[in-house]
Amino acid sequence: MTIKKGITAGCIAALTSGAAWAEGTINVLTWEGYADPSFITPFEETSGCKVNATYVGSNDDFAPKLMAGGGVYDLITPSIDTTQLMIDLGFVEPLDTAAITGWDGIYPKFLAQDGIQQDGAYYGMPYSWGAIAFMYLDSAFDTPPSSLDALWSEDLAGKISLWDDKSAIYVAARKNGDMDIYNLTDDQIAAAQDSLLAQKPLVRKYWATAGELVDLYKAGEVVISNTWAGYQSSLLAAEGVAVTEFIPEEGAEGWMDSWMVVKDTPNKDCAYKFLNMQLSELGQCGVANVNGYSAANASAAKACMTAEQYSALHQDDPDYLDSLLIWTPLGDRFETYTNAWNAVKAQ
Amino acid sequence: MNLLRRNLPGALVVGIPVLWILVFMLLPYGIIVTYSFWLKKYPTFLPAFQFGNYVTLFTDPQYLRVFLRTLKISLLVSAASFLLAYPFAYYLVFRCRSQALRTWLYMAVIAPLWVSYLLRAYIWKTILGTEGVLNSFLMWLRIIDEPSSLFLYNQFSMVVTLTYIFIPFMVMPIYTALEKIPVNLTEASADLGMSPWRSFWHVTLPLSLPGVAAGFTLTFCLSFGDFIAPFLVGGPDGNLVANVIATQFGAALNWPLGSALAIVMLIVVLSIVSVSDRLERKGLTGGT
Repeated sequence: MTIKKGITAGCIAALTSGAAWAEGTINVLTWEGYADPSFITPFEETSGCKVNATYVGSNDDFAPKLMAGGGVYDLITPSIDTTQLMIDLGFVEPLDTAAITGWDGIYPKFLAQDGIQQDGAYYGMPYSWGAIAFMYLDSAFDTPPSSLDALWSEDLAGKISLWDDKSAIYVAARKNGDMDIYNLTDDQIAAAQDSLLAQKPLVRKYWATAGELVDLYKAGEVVISNTWAGYQSSLLAAEGVAVTEFIPEEGAEGWMDSWMVVKDTPNKDCAYKFLNMQLSELGQCGVANVNGYSAANASAAKACMTAEQYSALHQDDPDYLDSLLIWTPLGDRFETYTNAWNAVKAQ
Repeated sequence: MNLLRRNLPGALVVGIPVLWILVFMLLPYGIIVTYSFWLKKYPTFLPAFQFGNYVTLFTDPQYLRVFLRTLKISLLVSAASFLLAYPFAYYLVFRCRSQALRTWLYMAVIAPLWVSYLLRAYIWKTILGTEGVLNSFLMWLRIIDEPSSLFLYNQFSMVVTLTYIFIPFMVMPIYTALEKIPVNLTEASADLGMSPWRSFWHVTLPLSLPGVAAGFTLTFCLSFGDFIAPFLVGGPDGNLVANVIATQFGAALNWPLGSALAIVMLIVVLSIVSVSDRLERKGLTGGT
């Protein structure tokens, strides 16, 4: 072999090994705490499958990353407002639910969600869930806030933060008394847009990442915001910042993340081993311990959580789950919602 | 074979840059132009040839508003950079007697370019924040009684941060332009009875204008396409064009509209570059 050929071969090997669909390796595109070493390492040891994780910052990252092509990823974890889009884009394949032990332990409410199924087949395996709760800095309130009005309060001008996401429209709609937040009419969306514009001078910063919101509280910039229940509050508690989560009178949205298998993955074997692990006690308590999110498999959660954690994560509280307005795919209304939110930010 | 061998170096010298421009510039631009005529339709978008995306950009006021804001911020950044960089470069070239000090001062401006952009933007957060360095300092001086939130998360903090980040691109061309001015011109002007101020106004400044134009172009174009500063230190009213483009390619999944916006931006930047190019040439040929 000539040197030149050697170099070429070396380059090709180097290029392909990084993103390879190597045998026994699965590439997952997911949220940061969903591939934590605390449960991925034991999985790699027992299954012989290696896991490469790439992290997304928001649900909006899934489609562009998969659209860019390359067939790199085997598994993804979009939230319930994005799963339908993945199915419609043809990026994911139907699941063989019989090959997933623990499927029957999943809360029926999640299995009833439209966004993860089509034509009688499931495309998503419910994994974890929680609320888009609200949160305030304890030291800034004598009487704890109980309503969304607090986020429009002049007294808190310059101390308010809101998630930079189309869900801002959901928040404003509920404040306006429009509770059917996933089926808003054009007028209701326009009203929500107006409310957000009225709120804008009071807003210190729209937060984009979990870390950013934590920094805003830590640096004393904001005292009230919405939050991914369980996550930022525990990060802040670890930093010694006392915050309290609350569900306002106007209710809160709920989210649920599902594992989906990318169409035509050559690593089906490892992919299903991985799904089984994630739905077992190892994965379910893993995600609960790392992120503070609730688990989708009720029986696994019951088996591996302490009674305290089980109730703290509302695993025993069907009413809590029912009270949440679980995110719903917006379909062709998606554009109207995002456009309204973009118009608020452009103002 | 011989012919090929003889022409190979020449072909490579011309070929590699041409290929580079083709693959990394013209092709991507072509793709963006093509996308800009496509049609947004759930779940993604369809190939089409229509001007709807451009019509949206010019009829929906949100885009014009963001565009004007971006223009304003970029002009402020360029102006602030100019006001700070010109006296500095002038001092280095004409007043600084020590060669060592001049080199050190020049390096002090260039050195931050070697530090990560993100890091430099983050640092301004800790300086301008409510519990930041500036507030602590002002409170220590008793100028203010309680921390002010006026310094961070607004357009002011964006201009400050962008000016700090891009000012080397203003200093460098002005320094070069000033350095090229022969000293005897100023002396001649003085001999002819001009006051130092009028010498500066009629001799030095006009001769340094090509550098100023280059600096303005660089700082303006860099700020015009920035989307990190709004994200890190900008407030609710800090959305710039590049952020909107990022949103259209990400959250809104509307690549056609994002592409149309990118093309409009490209045209704006290219026209500014060509205007400034013309100005610089005028300066070089001595016309005014």
